Amino acid sequence: MVPERLQDFKLKPLKCELNFLSKSDGSAILSQGDTVVLASVNGPLDIKTTSQNIEKATLEVLFCSKEGKPSVADRFKENVIRNTCETAILGCLYPRTGITLTIQELENYGGLLTCAVNCACLALINSGVGMRHVVAAVSCAVNEVGDLVLEPTQQEAESARALLYFVFDSRDKNLVTGFTEGTFSEDTYEEALVRCRLASDFVFQFYRDVVKKYSNVI
Amino acid sequence: MKVSIGDVVLPGDYFDEISTDNAKSRVVIGPGLRKEEDHVYITKAGVLKKKNPHTYWIDSYQKRVDIGGSTTAALSYLSFEGATKKNRPEVQVGDIIYAKLVIASKDMEPELVCIDSFGHKGRLGVLTDGFVFKCSINLIRKILSPQCPLLESLKNEWPFELAAGMNGRIWIKANSMKETIALGNAVLGAEFMSQEEIKKMSNNISATLAGHVY
Repeated sequence: MVPERLQDFKLKPLKCELNFLSKSDGSAILSQGDTVVLASVNGPLDIKTTSQNIEKATLEVLFCSKEGKPSVADRFKENVIRNTCETAILGCLYPRTGITLTIQELENYGGLLTCAVNCACLALINSGVGMRHVVAAVSCAVNEVGDLVLEPTQQEAESARALLYFVFDSRDKNLVTGFTEGTFSEDTYEEALVRCRLASDFVFQFYRDVVKKYSNVI
Repeated sequence: MKVSIGDVVLPGDYFDEISTDNAKSRVVIGPGLRKEEDHVYITKAGVLKKKNPHTYWIDSYQKRVDIGGSTTAALSYLSFEGATKKNRPEVQVGDIIYAKLVIASKDMEPELVCIDSFGHKGRLGVLTDGFVFKCSINLIRKILSPQCPLLESLKNEWPFELAAGMNGRIWIKANSMKETIALGNAVLGAEFMSQEEIKKMSNNISATLAGHVY
């Protein structure tokens, strides 16, 4: 990794508070730029026998949008977050139990989904659930000219030709989740993947700083 | 990422010092660590600690104890001192019990007892009166640690009873309501304080309490 290149990757400023909610087992509030998301984790808990899995924990994700009305888009986000977090959690440590992850959108100025995934990961870290690795989500837009923009703002995202979302694990920076909207060439995809992978280091470093800040006071 | 003792660690980090240690000695891998094929991986965020000779664990923040069961625990009628099938102990639903775990396996229902292996109850059993509140496991560990000055300094000020359970619940009992509230606030307030701050706070509280009582 070349340091000069890393400087080029400006992510939105990240701010986080852990243990934001007093009653849940783990919670985090995260702001990425002006987008703010609150996540809460409860579990491992006893759940009804029909949804129990004898091999691993059942992860349930609830996404609440600001309007409060459930929509198909919310279900889609829930699915993405559930699949992502299921790979991160060591579910086999908690068989026949359920873990509930509730995510509340507070402000949306673009990059809501990446913020939600990162916030969910921080809440899981705070809850002390055993995890295989942590995950970092980074998004990327292809603008009208064909240039790549990391972490696009609302306006950039709306006018973009394509949007690409990537989630990486912290072990080998492998791709955990990836999905796209719009049209783009294969080379663009490859380059976006490389750039986002480099940028994910910032997010992982941020997680480490947050945990460091909190480990001093315990 | 590769880490070493004393570092702030995240899930997915690994560390190699265990494998390079003397292979003959017994190594204990504590909470937050997990062995996979080649390395020992970290599963919880916190600080990696080591106790000689070869005990490793992660000091992490969490509110729920992993006793291997999210379900209810079993408490047998016969697990009290002097209990027989005819002579049943007086335990009602809703009672607070100071007990310890005999079985804490991932795949079985946990079981509680209120006697030690000699059949004596010691301090275990039903706790009458008093007040129970929940807190984080770190706080329990903190106040139970011999270095923590909280209980040392508070116990000289006014009489009280306290039982701190590793399930994140603390039971307290004092002579008056005021003393109970003061004690509860002192314990909860100590969560993020250093030792000096705790000493100062205990003095403050006892001074305030003395002012109210007399």
